[in-house]
Amino acid sequence: MKKFISKIYLALIIILLYAPILTLVVLSFNSSKTRAKWGGITGKWYVSLFHDDGIMNALYTTLVIALLSAVIATVIGTAAAIGISAYRQRTKSIFMGVTNIPMLNADIVTGISLMLLFIAFKFTLGFKTILLAHITFNIPYVILSVAPKLKQTNKSTYEAALDLGASPIYAFFKVVFPDILPGVISGFFLAITMSLDDFIITHFTKGPGVDTLSTKIYSEVRKGIKPEMYALSTIMFLTVFILLILINTNPKENKKTEHIINSKARKVSKLIMHRLIPATMVVVIIIGGFVYSKTNKTVDSKKQLIVYNWGEYIDPKVLTMFEKETGINVVYEEFETNEIMYPKISSGAISYDVVCPSDYMIQRMIKNNLLSKIDFDKVPNIKHIGSQYMKQSRQFDPTNEYSVPYCWGTVGILYNKKMVKEKVDSWNILWNKKYKDNILMQDSVRDSFAVALKSLGYSLNSADLDELNAAKNKLIKQKPLVQAYVIDQVRDKMIGNEAALGVIYSGEAIYTQKENPNLEYVIPKEGSNVWIDSWVIPKNAKHKENAEKFINFLCRPDIALLNFEYITYSTPNVDAAKLIKDPDIRNSKTAFPDPKDLDRCETFKYLGTKYDRIYNELWREVKSK
Amino acid sequence: MTNKHSLKKLLAGPYLVWAVAFIIIPLIMIMYYGLTTEKGHFTFANIATITTPDNLKALGLALLLSIISTLICLILAYPLGMILSNSNINSSSFMIILFILPMWMNFLLRTIAWQSLLEKNGVINSVLSLLHLPRFEMINTPGAIIVGMVYNFLPFMILPLYNVLSKIDKDVINAARDLGANGFQTFHRIILPLSVPGIISGITMVFVPSLTTFVISDILGGSKILLIGNVIDQEFVQSSNWHVGSGLSLILMIFILISMAMIAKYDKEGEGSAF
Repeated sequence: MKKFISKIYLALIIILLYAPILTLVVLSFNSSKTRAKWGGITGKWYVSLFHDDGIMNALYTTLVIALLSAVIATVIGTAAAIGISAYRQRTKSIFMGVTNIPMLNADIVTGISLMLLFIAFKFTLGFKTILLAHITFNIPYVILSVAPKLKQTNKSTYEAALDLGASPIYAFFKVVFPDILPGVISGFFLAITMSLDDFIITHFTKGPGVDTLSTKIYSEVRKGIKPEMYALSTIMFLTVFILLILINTNPKENKKTEHIINSKARKVSKLIMHRLIPATMVVVIIIGGFVYSKTNKTVDSKKQLIVYNWGEYIDPKVLTMFEKETGINVVYEEFETNEIMYPKISSGAISYDVVCPSDYMIQRMIKNNLLSKIDFDKVPNIKHIGSQYMKQSRQFDPTNEYSVPYCWGTVGILYNKKMVKEKVDSWNILWNKKYKDNILMQDSVRDSFAVALKSLGYSLNSADLDELNAAKNKLIKQKPLVQAYVIDQVRDKMIGNEAALGVIYSGEAIYTQKENPNLEYVIPKEGSNVWIDSWVIPKNAKHKENAEKFINFLCRPDIALLNFEYITYSTPNVDAAKLIKDPDIRNSKTAFPDPKDLDRCETFKYLGTKYDRIYNELWREVKSK
Repeated sequence: MTNKHSLKKLLAGPYLVWAVAFIIIPLIMIMYYGLTTEKGHFTFANIATITTPDNLKALGLALLLSIISTLICLILAYPLGMILSNSNINSSSFMIILFILPMWMNFLLRTIAWQSLLEKNGVINSVLSLLHLPRFEMINTPGAIIVGMVYNFLPFMILPLYNVLSKIDKDVINAARDLGANGFQTFHRIILPLSVPGIISGITMVFVPSLTTFVISDILGGSKILLIGNVIDQEFVQSSNWHVGSGLSLILMIFILISMAMIAKYDKEGEGSAF
């Protein structure tokens, strides 16, 4: 009976642990691109996975960092454990105290403290800094697995070996090392596991152009995870799972079966431990290296272009076409928000050649003298950009000298016609108690305040403390009704019928309508935000001419059309808009709203550091209520 | 003898250098940032920001949620450790591996998978409605955050508990039985006291990461629930205010010092170390 209960208990815990894993495995076979909808079984993600350079590079970086950091940490850690054991008790405990710090310290503190160190000592953040950080947090795991084994070893055998004339090194490897080997191996595997699983420390110590799977996934959380990621995790998980089962089932049978099988089984498991695993590792590194070197050909640095763009904000085909046509090698980096992008540019740590910020951020960058003027003789395709968009750009780039519009859109309400029966034309519906727990708001200061300010009839660039406080109070009043504050997850949640109403960017709305025809987008009558994301060239760009070629390329109508179809954000390229085949989209009010709707909309303006801080503080008050 | 020992001691040299460079100095840097203004003047103002009602609330909530999750982990893991330590070595080491294995699925993906499970129209609710059972609403509540914490950090409780429990000499337990102790008494007087190092180590290994997480509360709490980890993350990433961020990190460091002191007191021999 007791055995039975404990079996059930074990089974329950295993179910708890593996339910999410199973969910991910199932998702990897989902043919619909969004997590929120089941579209039937498919294996296509397992194929397209291997064609996705971004994911393959991240996989390679992750594996190399995990293996290298584990090997180095194992060597340093094992040596340290042996060394520490020779010290007196007091010194020993000081050592162990220090060793405990990275394990007990919050990941966020470790990550930040290492980042501060790297910046202070002028390390360029990148592959090396991630590696250093991972070694740092891996060493303690090795020490803590080796130290107990060391304590169990019999000191006299070692001394005996010495007395019999063995050199200390020989004696160590023949006598002590076999005893502590299990500890060393488990330390090594723990180190690999921790390194693979780490996100927060990598997040803070990584530099541009380097991504591990974790950081790649994090940047995708907002846009919706690519299904290929599920497929990759499934492959990785199953590989390890099968390997471990192979290793573990063999010795288990040993006791019961005959001696011959016993030795055979041991041989097999030995073969796996000593040959197969190292061999797979070597193969992984070599194959990975091959893929990696293929994508990272060392090129003439003149033939290079470093692009810094929003996540999922260009058709990958366009980049390959550009590389083919011009012979310029593109290094492509993504950011999640304007606020994350800005310090990277202003610190000058990395010289990007071409960046795609939003309106108010461009104004701030011009003001702080971070941008250089674009030579429009080199960008003749600017003629395809509608004059109304150039005019609108003057709100943040008064002379039209610094920026070329790339995408634009509005912010509005997306609602589910099945759940909302009344007419939706005002922001105030987001304060209607009927929709409690069915409302999604934007998790960003300016966007949320814009909704509240506009609903109160104020400007969304308000710098009036009374108005701002009124907006804050209105947002606090709304909070109990809000289901969640999200960024791009609005997309998945609205498609999956998780909420009735959501504040969303018009470009995302077009995508959601394709997936769920019950969704409708509206720009409220009080007015809203109209925004433009434009290409700019930072002052410290090293390849300005290439950047101009790139901008010119993107302004070509056929290219702009490709991008529009991929990212579904409205294009300012009027000649591209004419080429759109699907009349529903060409005439869509969501993609290309009526001018009278736009008249009520404003562009965000940069309000200065002081007001930035005030907005941030008021927002924190809302969030913590 | 002395010669041999000093040779051995040298082996700790590389680690010593490493620890100073990448553990001690970064800590000092955090202290420097936390105790200065942007112009480099000494100040306690950054640390004092913890006393604003918002930040106190975030800290209090983080403490509450992490204490609850730690307790749940302890309650779940202790019987598990007992069961595992009583089964034979091979099957228990296999089980232990089963508990670590989920970590090979990325931490973020695992947490997102919980989102899929817990959502209003998620997997669990779909199953419940198939069975005509009442739906349950958990996503975007503190409850969902606790689920995420327990799920992600449970292995850190299981491992140290299993380690100490499997080291307890069976003869001691049998002796207690022979001397007339009943099941409860054996547990209360023998097993529990002997497993204290594992309990303490498990508690700190679960409590600290739960206290400081910001990812779990973002994904499973719908960003509606602000924990101290979220506040620090925002200071560094959104407002680029490193000084306040570091000041608040120093507050978190206090809890880590307390944890270390606890370990030093109850687990002198390092028996409860997880691995």
